[in-house]
Amino acid sequence: MMGRTLFIDPGRCIGCQACVSGCRECDSHRGKSMIHLDYPDEGSSVASLPTVCMHCEDPVAPCAEVCPAEAILISPDGVVHEADPTRCIGCSNCVNACPFGVPKIDLAAKLQLKCNLCYDRTSLGLAPMCATVCPTGALFYGTLEELQAERPGVDVSNWFEFGDVQITTGVAMVVPADRTRDPVPGGLPTLPLVQVNGRDTGGRVVSDAGGQL
Amino acid sequence: MSRAVGPVPVSLDPSVAPPGTRNFRDAGGIPADQWHANQVKQTLVPTHCCFCGVQCGMYLRVDERGKVFGVEPRNHDINRSRLCPKGLNAYQQVNHPDRLTAPLLRRSRDEPFREASWEEALDFTAAEVRRIQTAYGRDAFGLLGGASLFSEKTYLVGKFARVALKTRHVDYNGRLCMVSAAGANKLAFGIDRAANPFADILQTDCLLIAGSNVGECFPVMTQYLWGARDRGAKLIVVDPRETAVARTADIHVALRSGTDAAFFNSVLHVVIREGLTDDAFLAEHTTGWDELRATVAEYPPKLAAEICGIPDVQIEQVARMFGTAKKAMAWHARGIEHHTQGVENCLTVINLCTATGNLGRPGAGYGTITGQGNGQGGREHGQKSDLLPGGRSIANPEHRRWISEFWGIDEAELPQAGTSMMEMVWQMQRQEIRGLIGICNNPFVSLPNYAVVKDGYDTLDFHAQFDFFLSETAANAHVVFPVTTWAEDEGVMANAEARVVKHNKAQEPPPGVRTDTWVMCELARRLGAADKFDFAGSREVFDELRAASAGSVNDYYGITYERLEQTGGIAWPCPDLDHPGTPRLFEGGLTYHPDQKVHLQTVEWHPPADRFDEQYPMRLTTGRTVAHFLSGNQTRRLGALVEQTPRPWVELHPSHGYRNGDPVRVTTRRGSEVLPALVTEAIRPDHVFIPYHWPFPTSANALTIDALDPRSKIPEYKVCACRIDSAPAVDPVPAPPMPPGRSAYPEAQASRDDPLPPSSPQGRGTGEVR
Amino acid sequence: MGRRVRSRAVLVAAAVSLLLVLAIVLGSRGLRDFDSALIPYTVATIFLAFGVTYRYLMWISAPAAWRLFRQGLRTAFSRENFRRAPTSLPRMAATYLGFQRFLGARSHARWIAHQAMFWGCLLAVAITFPLTWGWFTFTASSADGPGYEMRVWGFKVLGFSSSSFFGWAMYHGLDLAAVLVIGGVGYFLWRRTRDRAATTGQRFGYDFLPLLALLTISVTGLLLTFSEICLHGGGYEFLAVTHMVSVVFTLVYLPFGKFFHIVQRPAAVGMALFKFQSRSRGEELFACRRCGTPIDTVPYLENLRGTMRDLDLGFDEWAEYCPRCKRVLRGSAYLQHVKRGFR
Repeated sequence: MMGRTLFIDPGRCIGCQACVSGCRECDSHRGKSMIHLDYPDEGSSVASLPTVCMHCEDPVAPCAEVCPAEAILISPDGVVHEADPTRCIGCSNCVNACPFGVPKIDLAAKLQLKCNLCYDRTSLGLAPMCATVCPTGALFYGTLEELQAERPGVDVSNWFEFGDVQITTGVAMVVPADRTRDPVPGGLPTLPLVQVNGRDTGGRVVSDAGGQL
Repeated sequence: MSRAVGPVPVSLDPSVAPPGTRNFRDAGGIPADQWHANQVKQTLVPTHCCFCGVQCGMYLRVDERGKVFGVEPRNHDINRSRLCPKGLNAYQQVNHPDRLTAPLLRRSRDEPFREASWEEALDFTAAEVRRIQTAYGRDAFGLLGGASLFSEKTYLVGKFARVALKTRHVDYNGRLCMVSAAGANKLAFGIDRAANPFADILQTDCLLIAGSNVGECFPVMTQYLWGARDRGAKLIVVDPRETAVARTADIHVALRSGTDAAFFNSVLHVVIREGLTDDAFLAEHTTGWDELRATVAEYPPKLAAEICGIPDVQIEQVARMFGTAKKAMAWHARGIEHHTQGVENCLTVINLCTATGNLGRPGAGYGTITGQGNGQGGREHGQKSDLLPGGRSIANPEHRRWISEFWGIDEAELPQAGTSMMEMVWQMQRQEIRGLIGICNNPFVSLPNYAVVKDGYDTLDFHAQFDFFLSETAANAHVVFPVTTWAEDEGVMANAEARVVKHNKAQEPPPGVRTDTWVMCELARRLGAADKFDFAGSREVFDELRAASAGSVNDYYGITYERLEQTGGIAWPCPDLDHPGTPRLFEGGLTYHPDQKVHLQTVEWHPPADRFDEQYPMRLTTGRTVAHFLSGNQTRRLGALVEQTPRPWVELHPSHGYRNGDPVRVTTRRGSEVLPALVTEAIRPDHVFIPYHWPFPTSANALTIDALDPRSKIPEYKVCACRIDSAPAVDPVPAPPMPPGRSAYPEAQASRDDPLPPSSPQGRGTGEVR
Repeated sequence: MGRRVRSRAVLVAAAVSLLLVLAIVLGSRGLRDFDSALIPYTVATIFLAFGVTYRYLMWISAPAAWRLFRQGLRTAFSRENFRRAPTSLPRMAATYLGFQRFLGARSHARWIAHQAMFWGCLLAVAITFPLTWGWFTFTASSADGPGYEMRVWGFKVLGFSSSSFFGWAMYHGLDLAAVLVIGGVGYFLWRRTRDRAATTGQRFGYDFLPLLALLTISVTGLLLTFSEICLHGGGYEFLAVTHMVSVVFTLVYLPFGKFFHIVQRPAAVGMALFKFQSRSRGEELFACRRCGTPIDTVPYLENLRGTMRDLDLGFDEWAEYCPRCKRVLRGSAYLQHVKRGFR
């Protein structure tokens, strides 16, 4: 199913953001960090979740599909690249269509930027910067066999579910061995959200202050 | 869906994106088009991180002009390429625009600093030393070192105090860090260092972490914890907060801060009750077991659970898990050490390990995790008030004679033991100490009870400080010497495993900057001790250090730069050039006491120094966050780290009714501060937590108590009485100090004004709305 | 859809090429002003017209581009746009297409180099295409004098002296263009060998070939002038052939490689106008359904969801959450349903 790829295990993540700083040091990122680190359990625990590009395989790269400028290249090895700077028009389609919330955008430069699996490193056989520096192995780069050799009994899944839609990806997440039959939930709420942390939600529209936001 | 509000002037660029997708955390605030990735040639200089006691290996990337411009992971066997955010950003200090590049000088604190020549600054300092010592005696001048210095420099600090200044008043900031563990280790084992290397953790069956937020303070060490768990080990974490390692632990004991001794006594109580002790080991290798057994008999789980505020079954669970494990291991850090019974707390952990026979075997043992890069090495070679090089005691006549001879001085000239760092501040207030040189420390942020510290330093007639950024303390001095960063000089440090590692020089210091070694030697020359301070650089100092430590417990004699470069680190004791070093102590149960036994010590729990009453009902505890280091003088200037955690906060439980971001005033008997609330269930309801890296008026240490452990003289940072109430607005975080006419690199300070807390103690998530 | 779209694109492209041929015939007064030495160039421009039209149609027939194309055009030519912000279209065109201000945000050096290349190419095109098509002619006003006159479609537009500055500039316009292009191309070639961001994943055909083609055109063009002035025509023929080959190659290649961004870039203006219209009306932005931070304009989001539905990406509802909330929700779902802790 997978060759050398990234394996994400939020259960091991300590939320230190070494990946965020490491990403910046990758030469092809020019000092900008593409990785996301969120604290999804805010208010309850210090749990954290690193998010790199999942390099979607089926459907192939929704970000590339919704790009009106044919700017996102998928190389034969399955890596979904960041937008071609000559083509990207900065429309944000990929930013808002990505089911995992990965792409970022530089509004002034009219340029999308996203995790490219540190292509300058991985194409030479090195691990991506985030997985190299990750102090806990929450981000692991290698083959599934290598992962299982280091962590006996772990299993992984690259199968996600968003509502009725299922997506398989090039990057996988660690799941308990008894949890590989079902897809990993993608988080799309099945019931409408009414309140979050005491704040009303529900498609609230906020006022536009005008000018740049 | 939409509501027309009439035409609004919109800029010609109408693009918009959710905040988390469009803000980039640029490297040190360097805009993308100034990022110089266009290096076709680079030199990778192997070295180690300058920050914590794990001492991760790293390469510094040096460009064709000889300037450090980046970092590359290094597959050193301490860290196996892993690095934390501090380590990854460390290189940015080297060519940082905030660097000091000329000595600063002023005759009185009413004047602004002016840049001075090295000659003038050194002459003035030497003259002040002489003036004060002539008028008020030798001991009226003090010296404070630091544990982020290379061991060579810590050796020089001690020698400079005893031989050039001839004062008894020398101490260092490891006093705020490691000394409780050191004291306990000396009492129990006769040697002061962790007993096992990190690699032993991987082989344990049960790992107990007491008072250490490993995930944030020693992130790279987490791989050993997780590695052990991958192999089936159980993890027990004792911490009032549910930290990242506590979150997934098998047992998390969220006890009240300041009750560790009661807890560990009670765990031992259950271990004895259930017959889980290793009686053969106790009989053969220990003294004092009967007294200890009698003492812990007074700590049944019911009583301890009440003291600690935890369910009593938890104590039994911990005792069974630890006691039944074939190989168990305990590691602790400041959480149990920063107490008025810090030494005793450590002793209770040692007692538990010893009683279960978990000592000196792979996967079974005991360790303390040093906080500073050279927290271990920094206390070994004589900058501690009561120690001489090689960990020799300044009170021991034999040791005094040996070292006086080695240094070629009259033993009568060698001062007696001085006082600890906090006590020296009190002496400054009383004008017993009138002049001070501080090297590599920032007590205005790091010492407790800021008001007292500020008063003490303000009372000084003369104060000089060595640093490469203008620290809060340096900004209050008369003379500031701009010295090198770790990447501009070579030297060794000893990490938390007592593994001595070599830091290599990656680039020349910027013009105007000198090494600490050079400055100390120049001052010594002006004080008439030129012949004792004739060192060209670290290499010569290290050779003298090796010889000075020969024959002592902390024997470095067999460690040379060449061997360190070949091996990637050697653990002392290493008495001769063929000796492989000693990664694991106490093999066969043998300690460094003359009788080679573990001297078990009885401990009675007592409450913390600060009184809890109706006015001050809650417990304030302090600690670190992952993006910053100690007093923050280094990390509060690095853009990426400021972005991650721009400001301190007060962490409290939702039961108090505050919401995230509300301004909350925390008041103790020493002061009060308003910080934004980080409301989380991951802290005990009766506790609040404040990270301590920021200066007054957002300094945790303006609130903490300057009560000391009677033995180690460590301040009780980890618990004091406080109350919380709501306030109108949070206190702003001040900018890092800069010399007159300069301001701190603005790009790195961009988010400092953020009034909100981070969403989690580890910092702001990358997608947070700002 | 594939075959029908393709055959329609071929038909339209052929029609456009025919129109160009017609325009050439008419503009050169029935080929009277046409310079037969330039035939290869002319043929290349006709191929270019075919290629660009074909590729353009193929491009905008993809769902995402098609929707944006429609929205952009609809906005640009809407009465509301002319009434409310008549200057927005030309101003956006000037910043996005002419001065390319967004490139400055990527890197100042790249912006300068790209501007040099852009204006150089534009100048060259403005001079050579009409000449190739026989639309411009320069004729001596007298048999031996320095006076020249420029004619467009046979009509005299202006007369000038070849010894005047204007005359010099007209004569050396292409040399100036070549110098600009060489400067820009030189920088980009240098960058492609050094900048680790640029070298990552670069491909010869896509990234180097266009630069090398422009470099060959400019250098041989300059050398032609050099040969004429200094070498009395030495090597002229070889240079002329090389020049011609490189130009023809570039024109034919243009629709299919990196150069296609020239044709695509106006979409940036359409996109900006589309968002601008909603925002200049004062409409509120669409807010994330969970955290309430603004995501983008409401019409934009509807357009995106439509695109996603066109593409059978069935999670278009997910677009109503901001990327951070998507990650946070996924993170809490993982904690809740997959595993909470270490194991």
